[in-house]
Amino acid sequence: MVQHRLPMLPSAGDVPWVASVNGVEKQLNIENNAILLDVLRDQAGSLGTKRGCDMGTCGCCSVLVNGEPRLSCLTLAAEAEDCEITTVEGLAEGHHLHPIQAMFTECGGSQCGFCTPGFLVVTSALLEENPSPSDEEIKCAIEGNLCRCTGYQQIVDSVRAASEILTSGESVADSTSPKSDPHPGFSRE
Amino acid sequence: MAKEGNEDEMVGYRQQPGKLPFAKPGSGGKERFSRPTDEGLIPESQGGELAQPWGSHRHDNLVSGQVIGKPTALVDGRWKVTGQAQYGDDIRLPGELIARIIRSPHHYARVLSIDCSKAFELPGVVAIATGADAANKFGVLPVTKDEHAMAVDKVRHVGDLVACVAAEDEATAREAERLIEVEYEILDSIHDMRDGLKNNEYPIHDRGKYHIGNTNVQKRVFQEFGDVDGIKTNAIASHKENWLFAGVNHAATEPHAVVAHWDPSGRLTLYTPQQVPHYVHRALADVLEIPMHQINVHRTFVGGGFGGKSDPFPHEMCSAILARKSGRPVRITFDREEVYWINRGRHPSRIEMNLHADDKGRICGIETDALIDGGGFASFGHVTTYYNGVLHTAPYEIEAFHYTGARVWTNKPASGAMRGHGAVNSRCAVETGLDDLAEQLSVDPIDLRLANLLPPHSATITGFRVTSIGMRECLERVKEESCWDEKFRKMPLGKGIGIGCGFFISGSGLPIHWDPNKFPHATVHLKIDMDGGVTVHTGAAEIGQGSDTVVAQSVAEVLGLPLDMIRIRSRESDTAPVDLGSYSSRVTFMNANAAISAAMQIRDELLDATVEITGADREKLVIGDRRIFAKNDPAVGVSYLEALHKAQEDRGALVASGAYRTPPMGRVHKGAAAGLAPAYSFSAYVAEVSVDVETGQTKVDKVWAAHDCGKALNPLAVKGQIIGSCHMGMGQVLSEEMRYGRNGHLMNPDLLDYKIPSVHEMPEIIPIIVESNDPEGPFGAKEAGEGPLLPILPAVCNAVYDAVGVRTAELPITPDRLLRLIERKCKTEGIDDQLDLQSPRLAHSELQAVLAARAEEHSKRDLERRMNDDREPYHNGALFGLDPTTPPDEVDERWAVNVIPSDDYLAEPRLAGNAWKHTERRHRGDS
Ligand code: FES
Ligand code: FES
Repeated sequence: MVQHRLPMLPSAGDVPWVASVNGVEKQLNIENNAILLDVLRDQAGSLGTKRGCDMGTCGCCSVLVNGEPRLSCLTLAAEAEDCEITTVEGLAEGHHLHPIQAMFTECGGSQCGFCTPGFLVVTSALLEENPSPSDEEIKCAIEGNLCRCTGYQQIVDSVRAASEILTSGESVADSTSPKSDPHPGFSRE
Repeated sequence: MAKEGNEDEMVGYRQQPGKLPFAKPGSGGKERFSRPTDEGLIPESQGGELAQPWGSHRHDNLVSGQVIGKPTALVDGRWKVTGQAQYGDDIRLPGELIARIIRSPHHYARVLSIDCSKAFELPGVVAIATGADAANKFGVLPVTKDEHAMAVDKVRHVGDLVACVAAEDEATAREAERLIEVEYEILDSIHDMRDGLKNNEYPIHDRGKYHIGNTNVQKRVFQEFGDVDGIKTNAIASHKENWLFAGVNHAATEPHAVVAHWDPSGRLTLYTPQQVPHYVHRALADVLEIPMHQINVHRTFVGGGFGGKSDPFPHEMCSAILARKSGRPVRITFDREEVYWINRGRHPSRIEMNLHADDKGRICGIETDALIDGGGFASFGHVTTYYNGVLHTAPYEIEAFHYTGARVWTNKPASGAMRGHGAVNSRCAVETGLDDLAEQLSVDPIDLRLANLLPPHSATITGFRVTSIGMRECLERVKEESCWDEKFRKMPLGKGIGIGCGFFISGSGLPIHWDPNKFPHATVHLKIDMDGGVTVHTGAAEIGQGSDTVVAQSVAEVLGLPLDMIRIRSRESDTAPVDLGSYSSRVTFMNANAAISAAMQIRDELLDATVEITGADREKLVIGDRRIFAKNDPAVGVSYLEALHKAQEDRGALVASGAYRTPPMGRVHKGAAAGLAPAYSFSAYVAEVSVDVETGQTKVDKVWAAHDCGKALNPLAVKGQIIGSCHMGMGQVLSEEMRYGRNGHLMNPDLLDYKIPSVHEMPEIIPIIVESNDPEGPFGAKEAGEGPLLPILPAVCNAVYDAVGVRTAELPITPDRLLRLIERKCKTEGIDDQLDLQSPRLAHSELQAVLAARAEEHSKRDLERRMNDDREPYHNGALFGLDPTTPPDEVDERWAVNVIPSDDYLAEPRLAGNAWKHTERRHRGDS
């Protein structure tokens, strides 16, 4: 039977590896043939980066390496050495979600959510580069990501909505900030 | 709101702006009242503005205008978008071991010996288990337990489990996998499902005295309803087609994964992305030989299920066995390839479909013969075999129904339940057949359907009680919105439009493990403490479809609370009451009903407390946004927290338990329970396609998708389900196929060669929600998860016919298949250039007017039946002159049910009918 992950090549033992993951410098010892996805999940604590196929077909493992979307399952960790890596965990600012995150929940872009991290990093890179993409541009940006739940339509809707928020300069609320009134609302009269 | 009289005035006390009698946190703050209720969400029957064209509903008075009917973000959405949702492989326990499974490289073989000694010598290997460690069988259906955790004696397909090994890390586990030596004796394997019908030296399973001959037939069904003998004399048009459907896989993005952990007290916690945790719970107890109370099944986030995570799986048993042996947590994660080895996808099927119409354009017979390929194990197959027949006996009124079905074991990965369970393939065959009948009769296929629909509150020929039916509206809406009349049979070559309908159960009426008359299908517990938040305990499995959200919405609505005051605890069997899980599209219907009944108890207590505080008339109290007040004088009332704290005096937290049970339904013949459901969903889709006549490439351009879900509790999720279903159905009809090579080997166990549609293949989909207000559904709701998948397949097939004039009978419609058909058509018609083909055209016959008139008349009949609560019963058969108020078999013996084939039939059986040529061993007297 084919084994997609053959980590069996002799490793030269632990080699030091440094990269910035979501703005935090990580100094790790990795095997010289380590795959970026494995390093992120098993050593760098980014369990939000998902493994759907391990062979570059699903896009669940997408991360940004120096701002560029990459399939981390097809990337040697060594290739990302000294780079800035952004995973889904790095998109929000504290509890202020990135608009793309907020809109994926609001507009139905995420159902089971397993593909969501991949879609989020890819589309956040798109919006970074092009804050008001056309539907066609959105589709081209996500063509490498598979989603089995949504049929993509509400994903495209979400990206469009996020782009509107971004271009309008609004920010997304923080769910943890104190509520001045425990019963927000308005008076009847 | 105007005050009526003065009976409510100043009784008890009135809340005054800024003058609350006692200030409790959250009791109103500086605002006098909460948000005014949205009148647009309150039904007309309660004085609101929500139109109710389908009449009122028993839950109308519970509507507080909070969340039901509003597009609502999933309550667990924020976990998912921040990467904090933990799926199977994200559960990392300290000290975990990684396990790998040793799988059979052979299709069918005896396991002679397993030598683990070399693997044990490898440093880092901690535990190894084989079939000898788990002798007990399990399986999702109690009647067909035929699986072992690992092979005992035989392996039954490539990828079948042989042993498993746990090691300190993944690399070691994979190395150990290689070092385990297994000796096999290869047996002759079977791959063509037709061979499963024959006697065989070594049947894949042995069911002892229940075994059917020496064959590989796992289940056979024979059913005849109505005037089957009369078909030949009545029919003026007949359609016959032999279909071949490839097997398809759920291809959920998350590969299966599991973590097992035995805690110091000796209890097992199994973390698993499961749709049906309760069945795993039972199977674990069987296999591990420990009582169920010693097991806690923890459902993690589920990265897509679609039926692919609804069996108890052998790898789940393996992780528990290894964890028990090693004393450490054990994690198993599948490679994508392994997902295909465990499969449980849609059955590869051969279906012979015969449809007949009489001179009035009525459907005077459906004869179906379905042979389905079950692969190595039974899984849900018992049910699938029935579903291939009974689920296409509606929404049409039919004069005769004949069904023979058989499911055989072959040496392939097991087939099982997949979205649209058992109904998808035969539905595709029926709906394309109807299209052909319409063509033969020279009538419009939509009008043909409209003139043959069962009315609301009726019974099908199989005796299923059908309540609300929004079929007519679905058809009318898609017809209108797609501009059908301007397009159908009128578009140029290569462009086509097609219709397809669907009918699906909204929750299986029969719980697999117990008597539905004794135990409920679903139970929900509520707990409300001083803080006012509501904790909901439910066992319903959130798999991304939004079940947590729907339960939260239901509770919030009944208690008049915003959604963020509801928290769902649905993960662990330790705290959640038993629920049958997320399959057969049951969750919204059953679980929300249970939640409503629990919340109603709390609501009653809150109303009592309000009466006690205010002295107001209980009948006049309504619940708004966190406030309970007199409807005619909103100033009389209390805040939710005041009422709650009053109710809690002397007793502390409020708790309630609600349950849902199906009403008694159905007939009594053998198999009568299969396909019974408390309600059914209906759908109609129109698809518009472009076919490249020179290459055979089909592209779906646009889909109008109308689905009757009773009431869209969360329209955002319903639309998501409709679009997602289109995606999955489009995959099956155009590109997805588990391809087996000449030697029976699966050739495409990966997402590169197994092609699910990407964003570029997806058409624009217009979801149309039809709300038929089911009397028993929660707030009127029915299912929306599986039914929407059914119509897309035939809609595309019919559109392809409209575009190029060829009918395919093999799915998926890949370019090479379609091109061959186009070329053949050109050849038979003597056309040299494919571009000179003529696409079909339609000139209406006189029958068209007859159908239109009947549809019109029925439309009035239906309207009357749905609005009028004391309606007469209506049984299938009335269209053919039977008394609608009596079941047909009571008025005419030709309509009696027959479940045993006659000798006449057996002289010339159809394909699956051949299964009946063999005798069960116990009746042969030789075992
Ligand atoms: S896991 Fe990397 S593309 Fe699927
Ligand atoms: S949301 Fe489930 S795969 Fe995309």
